Amino acid sequence: MEQPGDEELIEKSKVGDMAAFKMLVTRHEGQVAGVIRTLLGSTPEAEDVGQEVFIRFFDSLKKFRGESKLSTYLIRIAINLSLNELKKRKRAASRYASIESADGIKEIEETLDLKEHLQYAFNTLDPDFRAVATLRLVEGYTTEETATILEIPLGTALSRLARAQQKLRISLSKKLRP
Amino acid sequence: MNDQFSEHEELLLRSWDGSVSARERQTLAEVMQNNPAMRQQSDQYQKIRTMLLRTEPDSFGPFFAERIMNMIKQRTQEIDYLIFFFFKKYQVLLVGVLVALLVSNMLLTDQLTVKGILGLDQGTTEDVYTIDLYDNLTK
Repeated sequence: MEQPGDEELIEKSKVGDMAAFKMLVTRHEGQVAGVIRTLLGSTPEAEDVGQEVFIRFFDSLKKFRGESKLSTYLIRIAINLSLNELKKRKRAASRYASIESADGIKEIEETLDLKEHLQYAFNTLDPDFRAVATLRLVEGYTTEETATILEIPLGTALSRLARAQQKLRISLSKKLRP
Repeated sequence: MNDQFSEHEELLLRSWDGSVSARERQTLAEVMQNNPAMRQQSDQYQKIRTMLLRTEPDSFGPFFAERIMNMIKQRTQEIDYLIFFFFKKYQVLLVGVLVALLVSNMLLTDQLTVKGILGLDQGTTEDVYTIDLYDNLTK
C-alpha cells in the first residue's frame, strides 16, 4: 500500500487527525535527531530540543502553507533551537567554567583517536560554522540546500563551509598525515 | 590563505556539489596536478568528509513519537483546564447575580408563583388600562 505524502498528512493533521500527525513525527524524527544530536551531542537537552521542534510544528500547523518542504521547515526550526541552546551553554560555560589552558587542550587532543579528535574539533567550531558543516558534511545536503535551509546566501554558505573545513583540517593536521 | 587559493578552494567545494562547468572542472584538474599542497589538502578534506558523513539514520530512541503525542495530549488538557478555571469565577458570579434577582423578585412579588418569582407576572393589559382610566377620572 502506498504511503500518504506529507501534504496529505498535514491536511489531515490540520483537522485534528492525530494519527496523521504521529506519522509525520515518525517520518521526520531521524533527520531532526541527526541535526540536533550533531550540534548538541547525545545529551538530554538534545531530546528536549527535538520535542520542542515537533511541538512548535504542531502549534503552527494551521499557519503552515507548505511554501517549503516539511523537512526543510523542521530542520530550520531544529537548527535555530539548537543554536539557541548552544548560546545558552556558552553563557553558562563562561560564567562557571574555568578557562582551560592551551596546554590542557593540547593534552586532551593527543589522547584522542582520529575520529574522537574530529568530533572534538567539530564541537569547538563556531555555532554558525557548525550549522553549515552539520548540514553539508554530516547530513549530506548540497551547499545550495544548506543555504536554503539556513536562509543565507550561497556565497556565505560556501565561505563558512570552507572555513569550517579548514579549521577541522588544521586541528587534525598531525593525525591526517599519511 | 591567499585569494587565488580561496578561489580554488571554492571551486573544489562546488565540485563536490557537482555544480561546476566543464571548463571549471578542467581548471581544477590542472590545479590539482600542479599544486601538491592543494592536492594534499583535498585528500585531507575528503578524509574528513568520509568520517563525518552520516551512514545510518539517527533517532531519539524508541517511542519518541508516542512521547510527543502524550505531551500534546497533556498540554491540550492543561489548556482546557486553565480555560475552565479562568471562566469558572465568572460563572460563579453570574449564578450569584441570578439567585439574588430571583430572591428579590420573590420578596417583592405579591404572587408566589413561578411567573411571579421570575418577574414575568407583571399584570394584564386590562389592569394597566384600568389604572390609566382611574388616573384620568381623578384629574
